[in-house]
Amino acid sequence: MITAIIYLVKITITRGRINDFKNQLLEEADYFELLELRKVILRTQQNNQEVPVANLLDSNLKIYIVLKMCFFLLASVSNYLDFRPDQKRRMAMRVPKAPGFASMMKEGAKYMHGLDEAVYRNINACKELCETTSSSFGPNGLNKMVINHIEKLFVTNDAASILREIDVVHPAAKILMLASEMQEKEVGDGTNYVILFASKLLENAEDLLRMGLSQSEIIDGYLLAMSKALEILPKLELDVGIKLTKDNLNEHDALISKILQTAISSKLFGYHEFLGELVTRACLVVSNDGTHSFNVDNVRVCKILGGGLLQSSMVSGMVLKREIDSEVTKVQQAKIAVYSCPIDIQVTETKGTVLLKSADELLSFSKDEETGIESQIKAIHDSGINVIVSGGKIGKLFLYYIYLVLVHFTFSILGEMALHFLNKYQIMAVRLMSKFDLRRVAKTIDAVVLPKLRTPTHEEIGYCDNIYLDEIGDTSIVVFKHQKSTISTIILRGSTEQILDDCERALDDAVNNFKALTKEQALLPGGGAAEIELAQQLTTYAQTCPGIEQYAIKRYAETFDCIPKILAENSGCKSTEILAKLYVGHQDNKNLGFLIGSNQAITKERTTQPIDITCETSDMKLNALYDLYITKKWALLFATKAACTVLSVDEIICAKPAGGPKPKENKGWDNDD
Amino acid sequence: MSAITTLNPKAESARQAQALAINISAARGLAEMLKTNLGPKGTMKMLVSGAGEIKITKDGNTLLHEMQVQHPTASLIARAATAQDDITGDGTTSIVLLIGELLKQADLYISEGLHPRIVAEGFELAKKESLNVLDKLKIPLKTNPIDREILVQIARTSLRTKLTLENADLLTEIVVDALLTLHEDGKPIDLNMVEIMEMMHRTESDSRLVRGIVMDHGGRHPSMPKALKNAYILTCNVSLEYEKTEVNAGFFYKNAEERDRLVSSERKFIDDRVQKILDLKKKVCGDDKTKHFVVINQKGIDPFSLDALAKEGILALRRAKRRNMERLTLACGGEAMNSLEDLTKDCLGYAEDVYEHVLGEEKFTFVEGCKNPKSVTILLKGSTKYIMNQLKDGVRDGLRSVVNAIEDGCVIPGAGALEIVTHQALTQYKEQVKGRARLGIQAFAEALLIIPKAVAQNAGHDQQDTIVKLQHEYANSKMPVGVDVTSGEPMDPKSAGIYDNYRVKKQLIHSSTSIATNLILVDEILRAGLSSLRPGAQ
Repeated sequence: MITAIIYLVKITITRGRINDFKNQLLEEADYFELLELRKVILRTQQNNQEVPVANLLDSNLKIYIVLKMCFFLLASVSNYLDFRPDQKRRMAMRVPKAPGFASMMKEGAKYMHGLDEAVYRNINACKELCETTSSSFGPNGLNKMVINHIEKLFVTNDAASILREIDVVHPAAKILMLASEMQEKEVGDGTNYVILFASKLLENAEDLLRMGLSQSEIIDGYLLAMSKALEILPKLELDVGIKLTKDNLNEHDALISKILQTAISSKLFGYHEFLGELVTRACLVVSNDGTHSFNVDNVRVCKILGGGLLQSSMVSGMVLKREIDSEVTKVQQAKIAVYSCPIDIQVTETKGTVLLKSADELLSFSKDEETGIESQIKAIHDSGINVIVSGGKIGKLFLYYIYLVLVHFTFSILGEMALHFLNKYQIMAVRLMSKFDLRRVAKTIDAVVLPKLRTPTHEEIGYCDNIYLDEIGDTSIVVFKHQKSTISTIILRGSTEQILDDCERALDDAVNNFKALTKEQALLPGGGAAEIELAQQLTTYAQTCPGIEQYAIKRYAETFDCIPKILAENSGCKSTEILAKLYVGHQDNKNLGFLIGSNQAITKERTTQPIDITCETSDMKLNALYDLYITKKWALLFATKAACTVLSVDEIICAKPAGGPKPKENKGWDNDD
Repeated sequence: MSAITTLNPKAESARQAQALAINISAARGLAEMLKTNLGPKGTMKMLVSGAGEIKITKDGNTLLHEMQVQHPTASLIARAATAQDDITGDGTTSIVLLIGELLKQADLYISEGLHPRIVAEGFELAKKESLNVLDKLKIPLKTNPIDREILVQIARTSLRTKLTLENADLLTEIVVDALLTLHEDGKPIDLNMVEIMEMMHRTESDSRLVRGIVMDHGGRHPSMPKALKNAYILTCNVSLEYEKTEVNAGFFYKNAEERDRLVSSERKFIDDRVQKILDLKKKVCGDDKTKHFVVINQKGIDPFSLDALAKEGILALRRAKRRNMERLTLACGGEAMNSLEDLTKDCLGYAEDVYEHVLGEEKFTFVEGCKNPKSVTILLKGSTKYIMNQLKDGVRDGLRSVVNAIEDGCVIPGAGALEIVTHQALTQYKEQVKGRARLGIQAFAEALLIIPKAVAQNAGHDQQDTIVKLQHEYANSKMPVGVDVTSGEPMDPKSAGIYDNYRVKKQLIHSSTSIATNLILVDEILRAGLSSLRPGAQ
């Protein structure tokens, strides 16, 4: 405050004419948002006092007096009312007086530059972000309770969901968040890893900056270290005795189950064996479809509240939480027609009106209608169809005939009439609410979705082993069970919605891991073993670098410690001891890692948590704890890039945050088909 | 009290020395702010918008646009920089620096009592002389065939000042190849024919040049083919969906049969159009299973039509962007059809490879392997939004610099060489000028040195030291010398392959001089009205 006033007085004097010192001061005060100073000046005005500035020009002493007086006035101010209407602050350009860049900005905008203001602050923000997520890392990580802006409760230790729901605003932290989002998109797992690694890199960079290295030197060193690390990484590949390739995944389900268990155990430790096998089976069903690309969407999860996790099961085919419209609820060896339109009377796009002149016409109109429907349903029935799936309403009359004839699935509306006929012809009719569900059902049973109510040709008819209505708990479900299905569904049971959601996220990670496995089969030892090995090799590499980047590379290598360290800390072990053990052990066994394990996992027979959970260093290969190479590779890449981006910024300009709700994202939104 | 306040008590004003001080401090403040951006070693700035979106950039133009500046002088300078960007696509940071420095130098003399008018005269003379020097330094470009190497070098010079080294080198090749594909002797290059498509995917190093078109949407029918080889492409702007009549229409019917007839007749119009496409497909492809057919429509295609097309194995894209229609015909040949009457094989384009790429929920359609494409796509990949934006701005500037070079037919040695040479020339020229105007020339010459100074300073070298070394080297060799950013030593920009655009420098000298002249000649800043809203104002 004092310096600001001295500064103000000085510039006013250097500007030459001070015939209007008071106004001048007001201007300046505005620019520096010195409300107190404004108050002082206004106060003097209210009291009809003139600020004595008349002959201030050369006298330092008088400046001092003015200042004194200002302070005196400041102290004497007891109340001050700001009458200025709000729009005043947003007024157009004014004749500016104060120098410096800050004064040129719009109201509310912030400008930060330099090491202290920008860089260290950014690093601190990232550190804080990391503190939030680090306790959720690993099998013994803790859950977070997050309540998001629409007051939905999440209980999870999945970093991606935590970050998504807490709405990160700080620009630097947001960069890390974007990096982890990218990891989620690219691999679908390892999001927490990205955040942890990037912020630990930044933390180490802070030390380097304080040591006197420049930002660009650190960035150079980090990038160098990253390329070296990516070079070393493939060499750490674990030889598991089986050569996995894209095409023989089906034959090694035991191994795959082990691999997927790593992902699940970091979310739901204890259930990993049970769920791992479930997911493996589900994934293998999907990957059998003959194409080389594995679509994560084809492994469906159907969450049904109630029961326990161990009652979850896997169905080859689709499971929908729907009821069946028709009276027929169970069909074996079903032949199915799939429609995206309502199973009802066809209507014109233009408004149609029935023009009737007599009662006879009215009677014949309804009759016509009925015969029309009956003939349609009959034709469908005659082609051997016994199930109709519709994306819309099924008319009741149609249903009646369907009952007589066959089962019929449509997507839109099954009109009342139609339903009637459907029932008459003994057809099962299922109505689906989402066009995506409709497409998936069509894919499961290998049918073609018809846009119009007509008799399908032989190729357009789908086939399914068994379709039936079932009830789990009090939820009725429609099951499409098909041996040769290319879609599989995992029915998850759990006691609360939060548990179900968390399970779904764990399964999601596992399925994504499987997808990654179809692209790249290399495995690395888990439990921080790969990291320790990387750290050691990088340190050796750093010693061969002559330049100043050596320091940065060394720090980069040290950063790898954080992974086993956090694993150990979260398990309540002494991290320093574990690290020391690991480093020593790595001299002769490069697969040594930190193992959180138990000799007995929870299975259907043993439903309680095993008593002896062990936390110790151990050989990862013997314990079959694998990480995917591809996950690590992208995680390192994204984390390093994000850290370097944060480091490379030395100035930040923030606009005043805009008010109002955020614009809604409507990605992929399309309502007309 | 300024005279205006007696006329209008609500007006605000700043006069004479004060007005000048405002202008100079604003120009210098802005220059100071942007100074760290200049050159290949300049730092990045992070911009956070009101909605919390992040932008990381060192492109002067982007910065000036989004920097939230609200100051009359500063926005005047920002506008000059925008004009520079519009005309040449480069040199925005330089112009701000130069204006700031010109005012700083002028201030020295004005504070010693020199009249601003005299300084302005000196600036004017110096400008003319600088332009002469600029013309002398031109290095003509070999045409026929165009020297690819020099274009790569100029693109690299421009890109390296905007992006990280790695990304710049990658994009350099892409940019030059894109333009060489389009270039035809004697015809101006239309930059709109280079589509820039972003994909949030993998890393920047996966960006590439697609000799064809990439569209950011895909087939809308699940059973349409995802990848086609050897495809004929029909580009059209015909509605394939039912459109309601303009007038209020209605149907009257009295039985179900009549209604069914109406239903089918309603669709007949569209079905006929679809049939025409199907006929053409049969005619062109016949029973040949290796030939395929693609329809790209600017208007909509409804589910029924999609279904009919999908059945024939046709990939149909609807609601293509208008600008892509033009590009498509340029890339793969054929014509954009506005009606489906008289379709012949000649209306069709051809591409070897048409395939769909799905990224999460977004679909992209690639049309690649065209014969002699006259429109290409630069496919940018990157992991985050801010990287994409950075790349996009960079590519745009890179393209502009190459086109400028081709259109100018010449380039200028870069790395601050021009400024060193001009400074020397102006110092000599000063001797021939009589009177106080020579002080203005002196100021101008000094101001020019800000460019090599800033480049050296950003690279972590001592600016004075570098300038002295450069001047010494130039005096000895009489060859243009520039700053070597890695060592801080003088070097020959020609052998290092660092070139600037002729028109960028020309525009730079022109507009910075005129803005600076305008600013120092201001002796009163007025703003009328509305101050009464403030309780403190009188």
